[in-house]
Amino acid sequence: MREAYGVVLPGMNLADLTGKLIVIEGTDGVGRSTQIDLLVPWLEQQGRAVVDTGLSRSALAGKGIKQAKEGHTLGPLTLSLFYATDFADRLETEIVPALRAGFVVLTDRYIYSLMARAMLRGIDTGWLRNAYSFALKPDVVFYLRIGVDDLIPRVVFSRGFDYWESGMDLHPSEDMYESFRKYQTALLARFDELAQEYRFEVIDASAGVETVFRQLRQGIAGVLSGEPREPLFAVESPKAPAEEPGGRKVVEMPVASKGAVGATEPKKEEKVVS
Amino acid sequence: MKRYSEHRFPGKLFVVEGIDGSGKSTQLMLLHQWLKAEGYGVVFSEWNSSPLVRDITKRGKKKQMLSPATFSLIHATDFADRMERNIIPLLKAGAVVLCDRYIYTAFARDVVRGMDPKWVRELYSYAVKPTVMFYFRVPLEVAMKRLMNGRNGFKYYEAGMDLELSEDPEESFQMFQGRIIEEYDKMVPEFELTVVDATLPIEVEQAQMRQVVKSKLAQAKRLRVAP
Repeated sequence: MREAYGVVLPGMNLADLTGKLIVIEGTDGVGRSTQIDLLVPWLEQQGRAVVDTGLSRSALAGKGIKQAKEGHTLGPLTLSLFYATDFADRLETEIVPALRAGFVVLTDRYIYSLMARAMLRGIDTGWLRNAYSFALKPDVVFYLRIGVDDLIPRVVFSRGFDYWESGMDLHPSEDMYESFRKYQTALLARFDELAQEYRFEVIDASAGVETVFRQLRQGIAGVLSGEPREPLFAVESPKAPAEEPGGRKVVEMPVASKGAVGATEPKKEEKVVS
Repeated sequence: MKRYSEHRFPGKLFVVEGIDGSGKSTQLMLLHQWLKAEGYGVVFSEWNSSPLVRDITKRGKKKQMLSPATFSLIHATDFADRMERNIIPLLKAGAVVLCDRYIYTAFARDVVRGMDPKWVRELYSYAVKPTVMFYFRVPLEVAMKRLMNGRNGFKYYEAGMDLELSEDPEESFQMFQGRIIEEYDKMVPEFELTVVDATLPIEVEQAQMRQVVKSKLAQAKRLRVAP
């Protein structure tokens, strides 16, 4: 039977959720939506009914999150809870009914992206784990992994640097390019940790679209056939995170000038609810 | 992230809790007036009032889109916004902050709606522990009598209609509020709530409240602004 990571929501029956829950994770601009656009028709050609969903698409909170983000005024806890609301709404009204009907649910990001982002903004891992613990364990998480050097040209040639994707709310640097670089590097480190913990299947996203698509198809075919899976790639073990005296993990942003990011002590009080 | 009792701020935080019809909002308003007259920098913050989130909650309620989980999470979002942007900065500045409903409202309502008690408590674990939390305890019949006086009918979520306890809103409201009272009573020892007998005359309750608040304000600074 399908399981949740922690608490089961009231009225949610986990029996008979015969569909498959497939997560595509990865940092901003890595090509997740391109792959999903390819995967949906591919699955449908095989006679599989597909529902695709992604962050901030809920009827309840989706629009609100977008509006609030435009104002750039959300605190990190508020944003985490807003996304949790959006996720719960989609879980209850989209994902679970689709799984019950035997659909393949393809989701563009899941709780892991939300956790990685919030961790960089000083939110406790334990708090995040609890807040998102009602999430269902997916059948598989494909992590499209890319290094920052390969990511930057993609972003430059598609839509340019975005405020949130550059972590500008953390003020890593005045310059959008420098900020993007620092922020995404820190984010990738978090993803690598989560990849180990939650057993992501890692796909090298610096390869071409076709190559990534082929690997995803291979992986998904395995999941759908119900055969036991072998990891596609091993994740390199991430560097052990630094510990603060209080035992809390420090957000290690590779920032040139100290004092710019929430990781530095004197500034922290002003940035996060600590 | 600091937890509940770990926060240290120069300001003071007083909260009122209790079911609808317990008279807590009236009492808080009277306390507010008094503190202002005494020259304290006092600010009032209401449940469900974040400008960013309030409209979404309102729409969700109107369209009956909220499940126990999303009901819980959208209120937690609203609270987090007020905590991060409003309550904590004010407490840092040394203000006296008054809250009409606080985390205990969520603990009562969400748990009655079937959410896991530990999960909800952890969700709000970053909230500042108030200086005093007044719980206005009132028998259900008394609260009902006050509420039926001058209003017609109950709203869907207010009456707990989503729990499908009864098809009749008034009956549903009673059953729902009865369960909320049970949760509040459990929280009295858990969180050391200060119980006020909410059947007493208004001025008697207010005198009790002022006495408690006064004893906590000994070192609080009075924020003076030039007239």
